[in-house]
Amino acid sequence: MFQWFDERLEISRLYNKFLRKAFPVHHSFFLGEIALFAFVVLVLTGIFLTLNYEPSIREVNLPDGSTVPAAYASVLYIDSLPFGAVIRSVHHWSAHIMVAAVFLHLLRVLISGAYKKPRELNWLIGLGLLGLTIVTAFTGYALPYDNYAVTATRIGYGIGASIPFVGGAIAEIMFGGEFPGSTHSVPRLYSIHVLWLPLTLIALIGLHLLIMVKQKHTQPKYAEKVAPGKILGVPLYPQQSVMMGILFLVYLAVTVFIAGAFIAHPIEAFGPPTPQTPAVKPDWYFLWIYGILQVIPSEWQFRFFGAVIGPEFIGGVIVPGILGAVAALLPFVDVSKDKVRYLELPSEHPVRTSVTLGVLMFFIMSTLAGYKIDLNLSNAVLWTLILVVPVLTGVVSYILLKALYGRSWERSSAEPQAAD
Amino acid sequence: MDEREAKLRSSRRRMVLQAAIGTGIGLSLVSAFYVGASLRPKQEVTPEKEPPKTGDLLVFAQGGGEGKVITLDDLKPNAAPILAYPMDPSSKIVKSGEAKNTVLVGRFNPDELDEETRKYAAEGVVAYSAVCKHLGCIISQWKAVSGGGQEMLFCPCHGGAYDPRHAGRVVAGPPPKPVPFLPVKLEGGQVVVAGDFTDKVGVEASAQNCCRMA
Repeated sequence: MFQWFDERLEISRLYNKFLRKAFPVHHSFFLGEIALFAFVVLVLTGIFLTLNYEPSIREVNLPDGSTVPAAYASVLYIDSLPFGAVIRSVHHWSAHIMVAAVFLHLLRVLISGAYKKPRELNWLIGLGLLGLTIVTAFTGYALPYDNYAVTATRIGYGIGASIPFVGGAIAEIMFGGEFPGSTHSVPRLYSIHVLWLPLTLIALIGLHLLIMVKQKHTQPKYAEKVAPGKILGVPLYPQQSVMMGILFLVYLAVTVFIAGAFIAHPIEAFGPPTPQTPAVKPDWYFLWIYGILQVIPSEWQFRFFGAVIGPEFIGGVIVPGILGAVAALLPFVDVSKDKVRYLELPSEHPVRTSVTLGVLMFFIMSTLAGYKIDLNLSNAVLWTLILVVPVLTGVVSYILLKALYGRSWERSSAEPQAAD
Repeated sequence: MDEREAKLRSSRRRMVLQAAIGTGIGLSLVSAFYVGASLRPKQEVTPEKEPPKTGDLLVFAQGGGEGKVITLDDLKPNAAPILAYPMDPSSKIVKSGEAKNTVLVGRFNPDELDEETRKYAAEGVVAYSAVCKHLGCIISQWKAVSGGGQEMLFCPCHGGAYDPRHAGRVVAGPPPKPVPFLPVKLEGGQVVVAGDFTDKVGVEASAQNCCRMA
């Protein structure tokens, strides 16, 4: 049987070329895989959802006599199907897990210096994947068309529309006219959410993996001691495949458990859209932007060639934009000659590690600002926290790293090891 | 470059070919832009999406009494302002198809209102656009923003607060501008629209109207 296929398709050559690819074994290397699994599960559950969802806001009557948008009614229908609510929940939680896994994967690559030459391209593609993942998640917000979803999407529309000069056009193209109100909005967002962004994601994920196969994984630090100068790892088939299979099943088990125990986004609790704005909080990965939007005072606005640069543009576009730009430039700025074949230990690169921790603290403090109203905190307190705590975190981590590992830095600079 | 290559480069045949390819790409780009412009949908103004106009009545937007005309009796002084839509009095069409038509109508002691607010109010009844100038949420709450202070129009999305007694000026949070008035008058106890919104409704910077298909 195998021989029959092999004579025609030369499977053994494929095996020798690709399925023997060495995968280094290290726990931090599974983050990217988890992101991939989440994406696969999102596509599969998403297909189920598209088969039963109606992308329209035409008014339909429910058996209880109320009139609701068709999209809302079709989500109620999905929830009534056998396991329908669980599958919708798995879709929802997998989106959260994918964003988290992509972000943690990025952090792992960042603190281990794996973005350096020759991997700049994959670093950029990875940043693009993070951005696309978040945008894809956001375009799915509006689809159930309940009051909460509409309010959250309305804020996104506002942020898009606040971009000077082109914002109105960009927002109307993305949202199919003014949101809410336009009947084109839900079909437009639906097409973007289930077709265009997933296709782009698939293409970029494919490219990301191809480049990774071509350039090979960075090697964990232990590989340098065990077999210096050699590629260490288990082959894709069979060892790595078995591990991936197990991890995928564990992933499925955990998400289905979470989805069954915590039904995501119960649309009946929010109800169909009304003029009454619910107290919305965005998903956790937007909370930091939400926090920044709340602490930027209304005075922060100026005119720029006739366009208004307002607080919503500064908080919603400029701040995340600066962080994205810095991340994109990183591999072109940090060109220090290091052994790019091996992971760098965070403890041996104290500046990068402390800055990363500072930026993480900035995210945490901005997220805290998202609870400004609930915690009754003033702008002065929050600004102090947002600006001072990250800097302090960075300085303290540097001092701690120096105290703990300073001696080993001197040793490594005293006896420079041969570059590979 | 050898002789043959040099000859080819200056040959007329190759020039014609390149010009043809260039024209083809250029024309297809132009037509792609034309098709691409339709990505921005046409604005369809149906009767329930028209902006409020002088003479429209204000009706309840929610709370069980949807579509019922708001009268002076519904408005208690200093009570939470009511969310309302304008309604064409002759066709009885409620203009709820456009979020920007959402209005807040409240009633205050006329002595508390400042001069500008009084200009657009009638017997202390004053109406504002309910669309937050920050990011376009509906300003649906009524609460005190500073300890022991007066209640204000409050947007729950990012904590913007507007003072309805003083021309809708921003008293807290990030909104860049005050909410505009919808001038009102009273006719037979009913609240009637007396003019257009005094400023642009909703998010500020989207005022540009570039690249829209006619």
